Formats: sequence, C-alpha cells, structure tokens
Amino acid sequence: MEFTVNKSDLVRELSLSQGVVEKKTTIPILSNVLLEAADDRISLTATDLELGIRCSCPAKVKKEGSGTVPARKLLDYVRLLPEGELTMKFLENHWANITCGRSRTRIAGMSRESFPELPAMPETIAELPVKALASMISRTGFAISLEESRFTLNGALLVLRPQGMTMVATDGHRLAYVDAAPGEAAGIERSFRALIPKKAMAEISKLSDDAGPEGKAIFGGDDNHLFFQIGHRLLITRKLTGNFPDYERVLPKDHNLVATLQRDEIRSAIERVAQFADERSRAIRVQFTAGEVRIFASSVEMGESEENVPSQYEGPDLEIGFNAQYLLDFLRAIQNDQVAFELKDQKSAGELKPAGDGVVGEYRYVVMPMRI
Amino acid sequence: MKTIFHVDMDAFFVSVEELLDPSLKGKPVVVGGRPDQRGVVSAASYAVRKFGVHSAMPLRTAYKLCPQAVFLDGHPHRYREYSDQAYAVLQRFSPRVEMASIDEAYLDMTGTGRLHGPPLAAAHKLHEAVKRETGLNCSIGIGASRLIAKVASDAAKPNGVLFVLPGAEARWLAPLEVRKIPGIGKVTEKRLHDLGIRRVGDLARLDEAFLDAQFGLWGRAMAGKARGEDAGSWFDGAIGEEEAPKSISHEHTYDQDTADRERLYSTLARLCQMVGRRLREHGLFTRTVQLKLRYQDFGTITRAHTLAHATRLDTDLHRAARALFDANWSGMPVRLLGVQASSFEARQGQMSLLDQEQEERWTKALSAADQVRDRFGESAVSLARGLKGGFRERVHENPAGLPGKGPRKK
Repeated sequence: MEFTVNKSDLVRELSLSQGVVEKKTTIPILSNVLLEAADDRISLTATDLELGIRCSCPAKVKKEGSGTVPARKLLDYVRLLPEGELTMKFLENHWANITCGRSRTRIAGMSRESFPELPAMPETIAELPVKALASMISRTGFAISLEESRFTLNGALLVLRPQGMTMVATDGHRLAYVDAAPGEAAGIERSFRALIPKKAMAEISKLSDDAGPEGKAIFGGDDNHLFFQIGHRLLITRKLTGNFPDYERVLPKDHNLVATLQRDEIRSAIERVAQFADERSRAIRVQFTAGEVRIFASSVEMGESEENVPSQYEGPDLEIGFNAQYLLDFLRAIQNDQVAFELKDQKSAGELKPAGDGVVGEYRYVVMPMRI
Repeated sequence: MKTIFHVDMDAFFVSVEELLDPSLKGKPVVVGGRPDQRGVVSAASYAVRKFGVHSAMPLRTAYKLCPQAVFLDGHPHRYREYSDQAYAVLQRFSPRVEMASIDEAYLDMTGTGRLHGPPLAAAHKLHEAVKRETGLNCSIGIGASRLIAKVASDAAKPNGVLFVLPGAEARWLAPLEVRKIPGIGKVTEKRLHDLGIRRVGDLARLDEAFLDAQFGLWGRAMAGKARGEDAGSWFDGAIGEEEAPKSISHEHTYDQDTADRERLYSTLARLCQMVGRRLREHGLFTRTVQLKLRYQDFGTITRAHTLAHATRLDTDLHRAARALFDANWSGMPVRLLGVQASSFEARQGQMSLLDQEQEERWTKALSAADQVRDRFGESAVSLARGLKGGFRERVHENPAGLPGKGPRKK
C-alpha cells in the first residue's frame, strides 16, 4: 500500500481515533490504527472491541492495500511534520515508510490480519439531528454511574418513537431525563430503545463538533451493536445489555413546593459553600424559607460556610441535605437563566428544571437527598 | 491507681466440651476440626498440651504430635452461651467489663473496694462465682494496668489468682521471657533475640532511643510494656470504650482448593454477610470493599473497590466483592477467599433514588436477622446465595456480638 495524504487531513481523522484506541491494552493490535487505501481515499479504523470508529479522508493512492501502525505514535509524529503532503508506503514486514519533505521515518507496524473485523452497518433505524443528540448527551452524561458493578447504569438509555426522542441516565442516586424539542425529532418514524455506553456518548459528542446545524446521524442497530454514521465517519459501539431501571417510576408526580432561583446566583453560592463540605460526602444543607434559600456546609477539619440566595418560595421552612456535586452538575449543564427547584420533603427526591423564558423540550433532573 | 482484673477461662472450648461430655475429662482433646482438615487448633486440653500441641497450630501437625487425641469440630453456639453466662457474672462485679474475646475479659475494678473488698478477696469471690454458675475454671490476673493483669492471669494458670502489687511490676516482669508480653510475637521475638534481648528485664534496661531506632514507635511501646504500662495499640483505651475499628474482615480457607464458581460466589456471599453483620454491630457504613484471593500456590492478590456511597447491606457488599472477583479471578483453584470493609462512615449519607424502598426493606430484614443470630447463633439465618455450599462456622475466639464491643449492646 502506498498513498500520499495531506498532513492536516490525516491529523484531523487520526485525532478522532485516539479516544477509541486502548491506552493500556493486553492485546497489542488494539493500540494500532488500521489504514486502508482505495479509490482515492484512505480510511482509518480503530477499536477497543467495545467501541470502533472508522474515518476517512481523500488521498492520492498509488497502490491499494492495508496495514496497521500504532495510532498514538503515528499521530504524535505526524502532528510535528510541516504542513503539506506526506507519503506512507507499507513494506513486506508490515512496517511503513513515512516521507515528508526532508523527513524520513520507518514506523513499526503489524499485520492487518490480526486486526479485528468490525460489523457492517445494518439497515437504518432513523436519522437523528446530530446537534440535538449531542446536546442531550451533555445534559445526561454526568448522571451515568461510574460504578462498574452496576453495568446497566454505565450508559444512557436512548428512546426513539415517532416524532420523539428521549435520553435518560442515572447512577441510582440522581437521574437526568431529556426530551427533544418537538421540531428536533420530526424525522423519526420508528420506535427503538437501546443503552449507549458512556464512552460511545463521549465520542458522539466529539463527532458532532464538525457537524453543521442541520447535520444528521444515520442511526442503525443490530442485536449487539449500535451504529452512528456522521458524515463520512462511522462510530460503532457494543450495546449495553441488561434492563435499564423503570425511570418513569422515579420521576416525581406530586411536588407541591417550588423555589425559583437565578441559576448563576445559586450555582456560585453552592460552588463557594461547598468548599467547606466534607470532601468525601460533599454534603450541603439547603434551607428553603419564604423568599430565600440558604446554603450551609461545615466540616470538622475545615470550618463552615453559608450563603443566602433570594428565591420565589412560599412553602413551609424545609431543610434538606444534598450532594453539592450533584446539584452543580445540573446547574452547569443548563443555559437558561432561571431554575426551578421542586420539593416534597426531607426524604423524597427533589427535582430541578430549567425555568423562565426559552425553555424548549423537557429537561428534568431528579436528585435524592442525603441524610444529614 | 487503677485496679484491673483480667479474667481468662481455662482451656475454654475444651472445658465446655468436657461439661457436655464428661468422658472427655483428662483426655487429650483438640477443638478446631478433624485431623485431616485444613485449619488450625482452636483449643487444646491440658492433657494434649503435654505433647506439644497448642492453639493456632495446624490440625495436621497436632495429629502428628498426638494421634490418639480426640479431635472435635466444636460447638460455637454453646461456647457463646457459656461466654454469655460468664459475662453475666462479671457484670455483677463491675459496670466496666470488656470481653476481649469469647473466653477472656478485662474488668475495671477501680473503686469497688467497699463493695467487694480488697482485690484478692474480690478475685476470690469472682472466681468462686464463675465456677458455681458456669461450672468452668478461670484464672485471674490483677494489676494496675491491663498489661500486668493479662500477663498475671497467664502466670496464674490454671485455675489460679495472681496479684502483682503496684510498684512491683518491673521487678516481677524482669525474669519473664519477652514473648510473654502481649503484642510480641514470633517475629519481634526473633528480632529481639538477635539483639541479645531474651528477658523482659533486658528490654526494660534498654535505652528508649535505641528501641526507637530499631523498631520505631513500636519500640517505644515495648519499652513502656517492659515497665508494666499499657502502651501502644489497643492497650491505650479505657475498658468498655473500645475504639471504632479501622477495618472489618472475614476469610475462609477451603478444605480442598476449589475452582467451582458457584461455590466461590456462595462463599463470597457468606463472607459479605459476616462483614455486614459486624458493620451493623459497630453502627458503621463502609466505602471500601476489598477482596483477598489466595491460590493453590499461595500466590495472593488483594483488590479493593471504593463505592460511590457508603453502605452496610450484605447485598451491596456482595455485589462489589463479586465484581472484584469476576474481574480478577484467573480461573485457577482457590485456597482462600477474604472480604474486608474499610473507610468507615457513621452515616449512610446519600439516599438511593432507585432502590430506597428496597434498601429500607433490606435494612429492616437484616436487623431482624441479626437479632435472630444473637439468639440462635450465626448460622441461624443466611442469604440464599450464602447457604448453598456455605461453610461450617469455625470456632472463633472473637465472634460477632461480644458484650462490651461496639455500641449495639449499650
């Protein structure tokens, strides 16, 4: 195989594979990127067996073929080359010559035979608006569990239905629920449910950066995999198996108390006060009284801190313990100026929602209190 | 000046067995298991000790030394009953009683002179009362520190009382071998011997700075002990005010190494259950679960997992332990499994969104199970997973639910 490619094209596509290739792998070939040259294009494939990505860019192909080289080393090196064109030529022993200007390099490769075969894209299920998908990911991703033993919570649930798209994530202590705005899901005709692993969600977000406002992801799935084709890039992920919890059961139905707050005010107040929360539990006390919300935290070693934030609240006095990090995750994910904090009592889940003008779609964040 | 009693039951497990089966009296008896089993001697009768058998010795070694001995599995539940009876007697003598293990206790007798008389008279009364009400012999050591009381009870054995007068401690300790000091085990003894230190007196004469350089903080503690003081580790606390533990663990060694996954899971469940029980007994929640895995060749790995939130439910512990097991087990036959909990918190903290009701139900169910175990023994209730291929409860010197340990009984 021999081809000539523009350096910046190669760097751009190669960068996308870095999130996928295994950094510490016991299977050496998984550190490599598979390069295939044909029809004036090269395609780049990387996989960790859970997640795979295939990108491509134009190239002058002198001799068709394929080969694999270490993805990280290739990117680190190519990035340092001057702008312009570089030529890669694969040798019999699977090594590759890279020439660019006055630079000549031989990089150690491995046979493509040992590179795992990625599944082929099955029939399309739907075309999803990429920007809306990425926005849903950024509004739910933080609620995914990092606890590996709760593997059904190590990703988000994607629910498609005619004219509807929902994403839900939970770690068992809080839950984020996003419904796409009506216009965004207009093209969806089929119903479908699947659990997307956290790592795949991060890659989808990255791929969405280059997409235009009208960009679509062609979405498909077989028994074990999900496929997202975004432009000329294809992301393939293994589905998470198992049953996602019945989230509708925990979405509160009967809040009677609501405190409406300015998002920036409550966010910075919690950020400051939480400096004095216990480092492990991150517990803060939130007191709701008429006209204001008071945030308080103390730790034996560090001291204590409190702050008042004006609020529209008319219920009885109520003090509830929360994990500061959980509240901040949500307050940092929304763009709206106002936030509604809905409550029932000390032992029931609280709910946060964007409020005020410009709320489109539905975004609900349910947080269980802490015992304090 | 304090007056501390250390009450130590004589050959406790064996004595209880003799009460249940008088034909055993005077015979060489070993409690702990069958001679062909793995595991160690939990207790040895005085008759079998003459053959060199002692507790903590592998059962197979004991068999080689004394093949004619009677080997018994033991009756953990009965030992608990007798231990409880003895505790009831001790409680009449002092409000501050701490069961250091199932067959020994510290009593703070300071200021009980008007009620029970001078120390020797009180000890005599106590000794009689224990014998009368349990049928068992004990030995009592009396001193101004726990350490002296403990060493004295050992010297008083069997069936004796020894009072080391305040002020005479160092003189009394001096001729004893260093090994007699609690906390000095085989390893430290060897190091001391290498330095030419054989008697407690040798130790007491040493410069503290020298011990510090050789052994660090432990060296200073040893110097204090050599003078008869309660120095270092658990000897520091007042009786009945045990410090919260830093970690809680349980282990199981298989009689025959096993690679049967179901059996291993089941053992894990059982171990988690035992750890969970101790957590609840101490009123603690754990953040860190650690798995210990020992293979046939004694290759041992430990792997820990930090939970997102603290728990004391057997089911949560088991899920974490099992995930660690699945991620780390090579598939080779396993000799020993262990589960340890650490990083304790006093509160559950974060409540669960998905499983709150379930957690509350588990909490109630487990607390009921704990009560049943208090009354009917540790194996009275079990998780279904732990029942299958579970293991016989070993005779344990330091079982759950000892009086004076942890807040539950107070």
